[in-house]
Amino acid sequence: MASLGPAPARAEYWNRKTETLPRAELAKWQWRKLRRALAHAQESPFWRERLPGSIASLDDYVARVPLLYKTDLIAAQQVAPPYGTLPSTDPALGIRYHQTSGTSGHPPMRTFDTARDWTWAVDMWCTALYGAGVRSGQQGMVAFGYGLFMGFWGMHYAMERMGCTVVPSGAMDSRTRIRLIVDQGIEVLGCTPTYALRLIETAQEMGIDLTSESKLKIVVTGAEPRPESTTRAIEKGFGARVYDFAGMTELATVFMFECPSLRGSCHILETGVIEEVLHPETRRPVGYGEQGVRVMTALGREGLQVFRYWTDDLVVKRPWSDCGCGRTWDLYEGGIMGRRDDMRKIRGVSVTPAMVEDVVRGFEEVSEFQTVLRTVRGLDTIIVRVEPRPTAGSDPSGICELISTEMKRQIGIRPEVELAGAGSLPRFEVKAARFHDERSG
Amino acid sequence: MTNGRAELSAGQERQLRECYATLLDLAGSCEVPAVNAAARMAVAELHAALEGQALAFDYYSHRWIGAPVAENGREPE
Repeated sequence: MASLGPAPARAEYWNRKTETLPRAELAKWQWRKLRRALAHAQESPFWRERLPGSIASLDDYVARVPLLYKTDLIAAQQVAPPYGTLPSTDPALGIRYHQTSGTSGHPPMRTFDTARDWTWAVDMWCTALYGAGVRSGQQGMVAFGYGLFMGFWGMHYAMERMGCTVVPSGAMDSRTRIRLIVDQGIEVLGCTPTYALRLIETAQEMGIDLTSESKLKIVVTGAEPRPESTTRAIEKGFGARVYDFAGMTELATVFMFECPSLRGSCHILETGVIEEVLHPETRRPVGYGEQGVRVMTALGREGLQVFRYWTDDLVVKRPWSDCGCGRTWDLYEGGIMGRRDDMRKIRGVSVTPAMVEDVVRGFEEVSEFQTVLRTVRGLDTIIVRVEPRPTAGSDPSGICELISTEMKRQIGIRPEVELAGAGSLPRFEVKAARFHDERSG
Repeated sequence: MTNGRAELSAGQERQLRECYATLLDLAGSCEVPAVNAAARMAVAELHAALEGQALAFDYYSHRWIGAPVAENGREPE
């Protein structure tokens, strides 16, 4: 049998053709795909009723198709669980099932993917991973639960497809994963930012210096908004480059990835999605550089389609030309900056979990933290509980005042900061829940 | 094989399209379960490759609803 040899490694793009399409051609191509997707959506009772007829252009589509909210999807599923009136293909064609975590208070969103859907979803992951520098022959580990949560399933399959060796670490504890990272010479790791920090903490407890004892080069983090200070802490702990990715169960795959050529900015995979950014209140489009809510149209999935989906993700779009990599795909500056439904007003100041995290992660003495919003003597108050590292010294109490002062400086509100005992605060693998609003009403 | 431009030649594009057409036909007609399953997966893979090259994006699986394949490998009467 003839040997195929290693896959090409020098090309910069997974698909140069579609990653560098001139913008005008990209828009035409998106419109052609959208037309097909809209026609296919007539197979879905939900979409047949909701979509207007004879959509003539992308502008017409944006003007006439109503925004879709998660409550709409959940309501459509509740009509006849598990999928209700949503499917555009017979669910019997599905080859895999996933659902959302339901942490936002909604019932879980249930999804299936056909062979075509899943292959497309994995190829989207390949595009993103290749862009981040993953190549055939590398050793990879995906550190998540491999359960119903879609999370990093796509990364596992994508690395297989790219010719990497993947260690499935689903049921392992953190110590076993650290051992494998070192012993197997893992070069590419995928996990949430929260769990990356947990792995670093575990390695320190084991007396392992990952910067010198592991071969990690690329850490792909996703599934949570995370501030730059968290990225820096992960990179320092691993001695590897961190790349921010984001995907959605409602899409089946990733829709953006951080580009090596422009730190902190993420290219939108515009061959698979059409992304609008709308003002959170007026619902009108905002321009480049202005913060708004991401509204997604999925072009690739046939089983469960979404058109103009209000994601609640807060983003700032930048033009593709800001990045020097050659891709013609627009960017999200800073990735997902937070979620609109996570934003809280505290004494007139808008506060998100990522804003608090950005301050706290700036203190290396802190290993874990928790934020509680509470009404104290009639006033909205932020209480931040911090757990110092064992290396923080015999009297870590001084850190409370420092954190409080820094939060006042950066966010504009002074919290009450309390010390928590070692190991007393919860650790998370996915979807960290560090922000608790206990105010009445 | 390895080059910085990494674009399909006209000959490779033709080969890709021919493979796709052949496998699509096989996936819709072959009643041997193992071959049918392999062809359908291969069609999905090739469709992703064609889409990545901006060559095609019009394949939907519902074409196959009700198509083969019974347990005995024969289409139900």
